[in-house]
Amino acid sequence: MENLDFDSALTRLEEIVEQLESGQLCLEDSLAVFEEGVKIALYCQKELKKTDGKVQRLLKKLNGDLDVTDIEI
Amino acid sequence: MQEYITVSILNSYISGLIDRDELLQEFWLKGELSGFRHYQQSGHSYFSLKDADSTISCVMFKSRIQKMRFRPEDGMEVLLRGYVSVYARQGKYQVYVEDMQPFGTGSLFLYLEKLKSRLTQEGYFDLDRKKDIPRMVNRVGVVTSQDGAALQDILRVIKLRHPGAAVILAHSSVQGSDAPRELAQGVQMLNDYGLADVIIVARGGGSLEDLMAFNSEELVQAIYDSAIPVISGVGHEVDVTLCDLAADLRAATPTQAAQFAVPDYGALEKSLTNLNARLIRCMQRQLNNRTERLDRNLMKKVWREPQLLIEKQNDRLMLLEQGMGTAMLNKYKESSHRFELAAQALDKVSPLKILNRGYAILTRNGTIVSKIAEVVEGDDMDIDLIDGRLRVLIQGKEKINRWRI
Repeated sequence: MENLDFDSALTRLEEIVEQLESGQLCLEDSLAVFEEGVKIALYCQKELKKTDGKVQRLLKKLNGDLDVTDIEI
Repeated sequence: MQEYITVSILNSYISGLIDRDELLQEFWLKGELSGFRHYQQSGHSYFSLKDADSTISCVMFKSRIQKMRFRPEDGMEVLLRGYVSVYARQGKYQVYVEDMQPFGTGSLFLYLEKLKSRLTQEGYFDLDRKKDIPRMVNRVGVVTSQDGAALQDILRVIKLRHPGAAVILAHSSVQGSDAPRELAQGVQMLNDYGLADVIIVARGGGSLEDLMAFNSEELVQAIYDSAIPVISGVGHEVDVTLCDLAADLRAATPTQAAQFAVPDYGALEKSLTNLNARLIRCMQRQLNNRTERLDRNLMKKVWREPQLLIEKQNDRLMLLEQGMGTAMLNKYKESSHRFELAAQALDKVSPLKILNRGYAILTRNGTIVSKIAEVVEGDDMDIDLIDGRLRVLIQGKEKINRWRI
């Protein structure tokens, strides 16, 4: 779950919903994938909110280090 | 009657004037291509060349077109060599084009074609190397000029589609001699920084020379090496640069590049909400389904009135008991009947019966005596009658022959 990126997570969520909607799983499996689905949905929602809308400029300093500063454009 | 000339005469007169003018017989003309049409059948091309204020019809014959090194498109700035003549049928003067090349390019253009075919051969533009643009992008790296309109377009679109997306700008000049190196460094720098989900390399429209920085081998190499997917949005729709070919995704303009780069946040959120709702609805339905099944079974009579189960058993038990009783009774009846029969039979042969008829039993000291030979005069003996016993003294004896069967 932790090493899942958003795209894979979303794809997995779609799979799970389809699986559940097919109604072919037994109750135990349904509950298991449901639980996974809920976790993934929460993760996706968290990812969606993980943004701040900043604009920054990336510069390479003379010593080769990278330097990031917020800018207003 | 007034003197007059015919249309043909007028047209051929004008044609003569033009044909005699040396200036019009060979010149270089610069302008923007417009309404370019190529006729497959004849192989000739017709188009107009225009500048801000004026336009002129042009025709280019098949033999000339075949020698051309590039594909003319509307909006292209071109330099052409030709002459003017009159097309008498339509009373129209037009430029007969001998040669045409992108304006200001010449050798530049040829160099570019060569570079492109070499890089293509070396696999820099291979389609199977293209990376997918992630669906969720929260950080957009942008390589462009911090002063250009392209950046403004990109920021505007990103704000619109995904207000939360962060933008990391790697400033670079986008034309001039430093531009190729700076653009390539921008891509590398964003890769070193590593936080961008996608990189946009962009610049607004311009002439072929203006866009040359985006045709550099350096930039192509940087894009090729980039671990982060690159979207190029360079120039206008018609401009295709090597940067476009090297990028994982080509957008026609910086605006479109931004559209490709970030997801429509609202739509994404909505589809996630939708998926979530479906997930829950589905599970709910599954559970309801089973609850219902459980309920249906629990509603069955046996659960509501479990005593029925016992009663049923009880009934059976009673039935068995009854059966057993009857059987016992029958058995008893049968047995007692048999006993009666036996008793009757026994009764018939009972000695009492005989005594009852008047017979007597003679005994001496408890032993039955049935013959006179066993008796002598003076013996004390007992005689049993039906209702008692007599003690007798024998006074005499006499033998009698009884009738015997």
